[in-house]
Amino acid sequence: MSEYAIEAEHLVKKFPRKAPAEEQNGRKKVKFTWPFKRTPASFFTAVDDVNLQIERGEIFGLLGPNGAGKSTTIRMLCTLLEPTSGTARVNGYDTVREPALVRQSLGTVLAGERSIYWKLTGRENLEYFAALYHIPPDVARKRINELLERMELTARANELVEKYSTGMRQRIVLSRALLARPPILLFDEPTLGLDPQAARRTREIVLELKKEGHTILLTTHYMEEADQLSDRIGIIDQGKIIALDTPASLKRRINQQEVIKMEVSGWKPEMAERVQSIQGVSNLVTRYLGVDSTWELNLHTENSRAILPRVIEQVNYNGTHLVNMNILEPTLEDVFINLTGKALRD
Amino acid sequence: MQSTLTNEGLVAARSLSRTSLLAHLRAFWAVTWREWYHFVRYPTWVIAFVIWPILFPAMYIMGAFSLAGPQGTGITRFTEVTGTANYLGYIVVGTTVWMWANTMLWNTGLVLREERMRGTLESNWMSPTSRFFFVLGAGPVHAATMLMFVFATVVEFRLFFGTQFNANLGTLLVVALCSMPALYGLGFSFASLVITAREANTFVFLIRGLVMIFCGITYPLSVMPAWMQSVSTWLPPTIIIRAARAAALNNAPLSSLTSDLTLLLIHGAVWLSLGYILFTLIERSARRKGSLGSY
Ligand SMILES: Nc1ncnc2c1ncn2[C@@H]1O[C@H](COP(=O)(O)OP(=O)(O)OP(=O)(O)O)[C@@H](O)[C@H]1O
Ligand SMILES: [Mg+2]
Repeated sequence: MSEYAIEAEHLVKKFPRKAPAEEQNGRKKVKFTWPFKRTPASFFTAVDDVNLQIERGEIFGLLGPNGAGKSTTIRMLCTLLEPTSGTARVNGYDTVREPALVRQSLGTVLAGERSIYWKLTGRENLEYFAALYHIPPDVARKRINELLERMELTARANELVEKYSTGMRQRIVLSRALLARPPILLFDEPTLGLDPQAARRTREIVLELKKEGHTILLTTHYMEEADQLSDRIGIIDQGKIIALDTPASLKRRINQQEVIKMEVSGWKPEMAERVQSIQGVSNLVTRYLGVDSTWELNLHTENSRAILPRVIEQVNYNGTHLVNMNILEPTLEDVFINLTGKALRD
Repeated sequence: MQSTLTNEGLVAARSLSRTSLLAHLRAFWAVTWREWYHFVRYPTWVIAFVIWPILFPAMYIMGAFSLAGPQGTGITRFTEVTGTANYLGYIVVGTTVWMWANTMLWNTGLVLREERMRGTLESNWMSPTSRFFFVLGAGPVHAATMLMFVFATVVEFRLFFGTQFNANLGTLLVVALCSMPALYGLGFSFASLVITAREANTFVFLIRGLVMIFCGITYPLSVMPAWMQSVSTWLPPTIIIRAARAAALNNAPLSSLTSDLTLLLIHGAVWLSLGYILFTLIERSARRKGSLGSY
């Protein structure tokens, strides 16, 4: 058994980028191009020198905003993409040189529920993928029954997947990943698009799987999810891992900081500058709440007592006023704000 | 909290996956039955079997009726160049073989396109199953459905037009088998295009149209200009249609078709090798460029 479940060294993925359409008089000029003609290559770096060492038995959370490179990292690990440079090892096998062994060691769930056949029944889907995963039929039969039972799908196993609810589909997708009982699981945004109840059930399953001794790498852009599930978290932004630690230590890093959360009605984005210029305010992130022109302000400071009077003065100004205010413990989102100066999601 | 699990608490590093020759065959078979279920669960196939066998040849047949004149007096010229007066049979065999070859050829590549649209391409490709199987595994289903299609055609034409077939079924079967490698090979080369180029569809229609004119599905090659005839000689569908006509209408014995069949097998060897190489290369490049999952 090699030491790490997943190991990445200087992993880089660049995608060819098509030259942007030329702008002319404010209108996009559509140029005629021959089909199959190659446009001169320019590259976009989606994953930029990522290093990871994931221990066996741990849940590792990759947390980052949209387009950070989470899915690209997962796709490289499960051999769907070849890295531009750097190496990755899964279960001790090199993803480029020993792809077959890597695929046998992995159970992967990519984002989106369409990764199974809607025109097959739940059971047929599992039988199909069991064959693709080279699981002997007698072993597969037992395993499929076991998984259907566990996911509470036995009663509806012989119905077409198109008749399932989103949550049920997700449980078939999870079962598909678990078919071969692989030691390592990759989950890309496993709760994306699920209703709160199904999302909670999925998180429970992830924790159960850890208890059973699976290694899990999951990506998410919900910080609560990363916080709740992960033993360690890598925060990824623009292809780079900008912080990597346990959730507790990540939060401890900004422990001296306090977070003031305010709801302000009538806020105008121009006012941000004035608040930010108050001495002692280290970060300010605003988010529109969508009702009655109310905005949420997220303010980082080292000493809330010292700055509060001046903040309130700036906020209660010219028709805007404070609706609600809390002083909070920092969350992972605040860690992210502290690192990048922007919010994890808008 | 850092994980402090020891090895005992872990899932075995080796999964239940056991690769063997038998496991490969089972995977191939799984792709086949998956395609079969998809075929029968979309009810449009009924239309394909009842309407198309008549509809597609119908316009050529009406044209032929008008050209043949009353009592078929204009047919002598046709008999002269084709060696048969059975112009209905001539057209039906041409169009049917054409549709059969088309399905075998394009569907091989279209399977991947369809998988991409279903969203299942990636979940297949991250399994340990060989990527060739995902292209080849659907082949038996296409062959079976096309056999049903041919059967429906024969029945419908006997019923509605009283068309006579003087077929040597054994020869016909051998012709079908010998044309498979060439069609598969061409299909493979085309499948490679599908992986990389989104414009593949336009391309397909272009080639399809051209081939249709060149390979003489409803008329003898001799009516074309010489340069077109020389192009036709190199198209596998031309050879298949020629051989199928001989077998279905003139009860040709196998021995009379050896040269055509050998030619088909050579085509098969060339196109299969080319297709294999192309597919391998382009699949690799798709993994590098990330053009695999996009749809
Ligand atoms: N196949 C591809 N070809 C070109 N660019 C790509 C490809 N796949 C991803 N990208 C780009 O790479 C960047 C990272 O994408 P990726 O899907 O890894 O992000 P992500 O962290 O998973 O984000 P999300 O939360 O939106 O899923 C994005 O800007 C995306 O547009
Ligand atoms: Mg993603």
